[in-house]
Amino acid sequence: MFAFLRRTREQLTRSRVAADQDIEFRFHLEMETEKNLRLGMSPDEATRAAVLAFGSKERFRDETHDARGFAFFDNLIRDTRHAARRLRRSPGFSLGAIITLGIGLGASAGIGAIVYGVLVRDLPYQDPDRLVRVTLHTPGLPGTSDLHSDVTYAHFATGTRSFVGLSAYWTLDAMTLTIGDAAERVSTGFVTPGTFALLGVLPIVGHRFAPGDTAWVESSPVLISEGLWERRLSRDPNIVGKTLQLNRGARKIVGVLPRSFDFPAPGIQVWYPTRIGFERPSLAERYLGVIGRLRPGVTTADAQLELNTLLPGLSTQYPNISADVMRRAAPRVSVQSLKAAVIAPVRAQLMLLGGMVLVVLVVATCNVVNLFLLRAERASKEVAIATSLGATRFAIAQRFGVEGVLLGLASLLIAAPLAALLLLTKLGFSVREIPRLHELAFSWEMAAMIAAAAVVIGAGVGLTALVRTGDYSREQLVRIASRATSSPGWRRAQQALVATQVAMALALVITAGLLGRSFSNLRKAELGFAPQGLTMFEVALPFGRRYGGYADMVAFHTQVIDALRAQPGVTGVGAVTRVPLAAVGGPDLRYKLQAVDLPGAVTVFERASLATSEYFDVMGIPITRGRSFASGDMRGSPGIVLSEALALKLFNSSDVVGRRVHYMNDRGRKLLFQVIGVAGDVPNTRIEDGPNPVVYFPQLRDGDGLPPDSLPIPVGAREVQYVVRSAVPPSAETIRRLVRAADASVPAIGLRTVSSLVDAATARVRLTLLLLGVSGAAALLLGIVGVYSVASYAAAQREREFGVRLALGAAPRGVARLVLREGAVIAAFGITAGLGIAWAGGRLLTALLYRVSPASVAEFAGGVAVISLVMVLAALVPARRASRTDPAVVLRGE
Amino acid sequence: MAKAQPNEQVLQGTLDLLILKTLSLAPMHGWGLTQRIEQLSKDALQVGQGSIYPALVRLEHKGWIDVEWRTTENNRQAKYYSLTTAGRRALGQEVASWNRFVGAVTLVLSAEA
Repeated sequence: MFAFLRRTREQLTRSRVAADQDIEFRFHLEMETEKNLRLGMSPDEATRAAVLAFGSKERFRDETHDARGFAFFDNLIRDTRHAARRLRRSPGFSLGAIITLGIGLGASAGIGAIVYGVLVRDLPYQDPDRLVRVTLHTPGLPGTSDLHSDVTYAHFATGTRSFVGLSAYWTLDAMTLTIGDAAERVSTGFVTPGTFALLGVLPIVGHRFAPGDTAWVESSPVLISEGLWERRLSRDPNIVGKTLQLNRGARKIVGVLPRSFDFPAPGIQVWYPTRIGFERPSLAERYLGVIGRLRPGVTTADAQLELNTLLPGLSTQYPNISADVMRRAAPRVSVQSLKAAVIAPVRAQLMLLGGMVLVVLVVATCNVVNLFLLRAERASKEVAIATSLGATRFAIAQRFGVEGVLLGLASLLIAAPLAALLLLTKLGFSVREIPRLHELAFSWEMAAMIAAAAVVIGAGVGLTALVRTGDYSREQLVRIASRATSSPGWRRAQQALVATQVAMALALVITAGLLGRSFSNLRKAELGFAPQGLTMFEVALPFGRRYGGYADMVAFHTQVIDALRAQPGVTGVGAVTRVPLAAVGGPDLRYKLQAVDLPGAVTVFERASLATSEYFDVMGIPITRGRSFASGDMRGSPGIVLSEALALKLFNSSDVVGRRVHYMNDRGRKLLFQVIGVAGDVPNTRIEDGPNPVVYFPQLRDGDGLPPDSLPIPVGAREVQYVVRSAVPPSAETIRRLVRAADASVPAIGLRTVSSLVDAATARVRLTLLLLGVSGAAALLLGIVGVYSVASYAAAQREREFGVRLALGAAPRGVARLVLREGAVIAAFGITAGLGIAWAGGRLLTALLYRVSPASVAEFAGGVAVISLVMVLAALVPARRASRTDPAVVLRGE
Repeated sequence: MAKAQPNEQVLQGTLDLLILKTLSLAPMHGWGLTQRIEQLSKDALQVGQGSIYPALVRLEHKGWIDVEWRTTENNRQAKYYSLTTAGRRALGQEVASWNRFVGAVTLVLSAEA
């Protein structure tokens, strides 16, 4: 190694080395000449004798040159120069290989980096391997999730010995941050104070929460995100100790968390400390996520076992949880590595994506190998002559290897920008759809890895050409030199390559077909509302004197609604807490509801929303029973509208008008409501998830004239989304002007069409479909080129045979059939393999499919039909050419 | 001929050995080396003057000798070669193996019928 470095250094300072050598040479001659003079020679004689004694100066140069190992570099440079010249001489081949390799390499590097970064890389926390997520499953209780209730968390946290610590958290989407006069909606996270220490994360400014911190006191501490700090507080270095107006209260900032930190969910801007105790001993009120750090040496299985043994303690220690409930609920704890829990929702999709680009890379490489084989075939005469003249196998390998490496390096011109672009755009996905996406960036390590891959693949591809040049005896060489023919071995190799391409193309075509149908199903899915002609925007009212209560807020909204309705072309305006598919991220706050006068009624936690009386009509959501809100609905036991799914969940029936429902607030107080109508189902954040149960509370003008302090509605009107139905969408300027007219300090944000929400909700599938479509088409195209080139090459090889056959009276049709059969056999092999791949890949796809079976016969049959047709067409051209062979011309050539 | 016929053909391995031994006496430039070897062998060995330099490069690459530009006594710039520690070690081994070789050859040649 040392010697190699020294050689390389000398190589880099070659001119200096040469100059030194000249001085040394001259010194030597002078000394020799002086010696000769001392021996009594004449000056001329002395010089001549010195030169004679030294020998040829050129030999001296060459020999020291070789001794320094310059020959290796010289040969490499010469080979590179020759290879570059050869590649320039066949631009078609070179460009084809460079583009194919570049796209294959760039796509797989870019997407590979995304897949690696999300699925494989460690979570950005301290010692992440020991972090786990703890979930609680109660298959016997309806309407609950895998989250924890206060008591289950507190019970485990105090009882366990497997963990260094357990942390609980939940998120709250709709907090209003008021700075000056401007209000905005922020996502917040509530975490037990020890969470940051558990994860091993330090704030970039300030400090973490102290053990006893809680949000339920005056000016409690909060941590804020670096993004919020930068955007709203101009990176104030003295931010610690200042206060922030969140909802109604002032909160003290104790620190700023780094941008990279995204626990419990991406996009959180404010963290509150929370204390979880034994105050609410229920198995049903489940809203807490729980993570833990395992003690050294404890496995997830150990921890899971231990927590499960703690379960029976729930009913013996807390009287509110009866043994009967425990039996019915059949609770079970599961412990899973945190990383696995984080990536679980996207694992299938990313694996598919990764598999897909690998397929494209394989197809691309196959094609370049094929190009190289054809090229080697053409060069075989040249190689045979070189070999018979004594060129070593190594020298020939070097020639092809260098060509391959040059092509590989050239393909970087396409691959590197493509990979960078893919990483930069992240395929159009956001961190809401794919966790950890914001942690990714194009790095130098990645660039180096792409370059290394390019060199390795290039060299590998180039060297496969050696297979073609093979080991020949002298006699064979002479024969090859005089007339190029091909050996059956290499033709089989080429056929196998093309069959591989056909297989990959078929698999991609079938997968694209499955996703295509899934996408179309998704677009046709019953949305439950009519998005056409609808525009939406949202406002958040600041906390403060002006918007103290429901009536003030509703008065503002009423003013905006009236102004909008007066606009020309506007046919309806509604307001609601959240428009379907307009999720801003994070789970919703759930409300605790129970049917009244129903024996054995269960408590459910579901989403709640305010809605104006026109909302359903404007959105096109049908009222299937009863009616929408009307004046007077807030008096007595106020009216509510249930979605069909919620009615079924609460009452097992949708005929529920006139029935009564209890809403239970945090303090355990029950409020009574009466069902006045049932509305059609709409999805919440994803169409795939189907109908989402929701209860609508009335948002009536001026609060139905009730005094502000006696308002029975548990949902606030501070953040409201508006929907406007109109022939022409109102301009952003109009909307801003109307909202400003109601209150100059309130901004209207997020103006967009409701159709765009539907587009966004199908974007995931659409994008995957697009990628699959593009790569499927690429693979198909490359497959066509492969089949065509092999068939036509085979046909050209057998030209003499065809000539003889035709001369002996064979029908041209029969000759064409021979060529077609060649293509058909390859295609058949490829199709069989492709069906297998598609069938296996379909299992990976299940998570992405919507109302399509991964083994759908229609898509498989269609894919086979398309590929067969295309392959036959590709073989048809050479077949026709073969059938038109002129026997006279061919036989004369013998 | 009064002088012994000089042995022009110095075996390559032998040349390396001669250079190492000579340099172990004192650091020297290339021309000096050729003169010194001839002198030490009482003119029996004549080193091809052109072939000493490739040998020096090889030895330098092996890390056995060091190179340094110095001024000669008559004030000229010349490349001086000297033995490194590794070179000194190598010299010991080379001498030992040379002695074994010579001993073996002598044994064969002195064998009696």
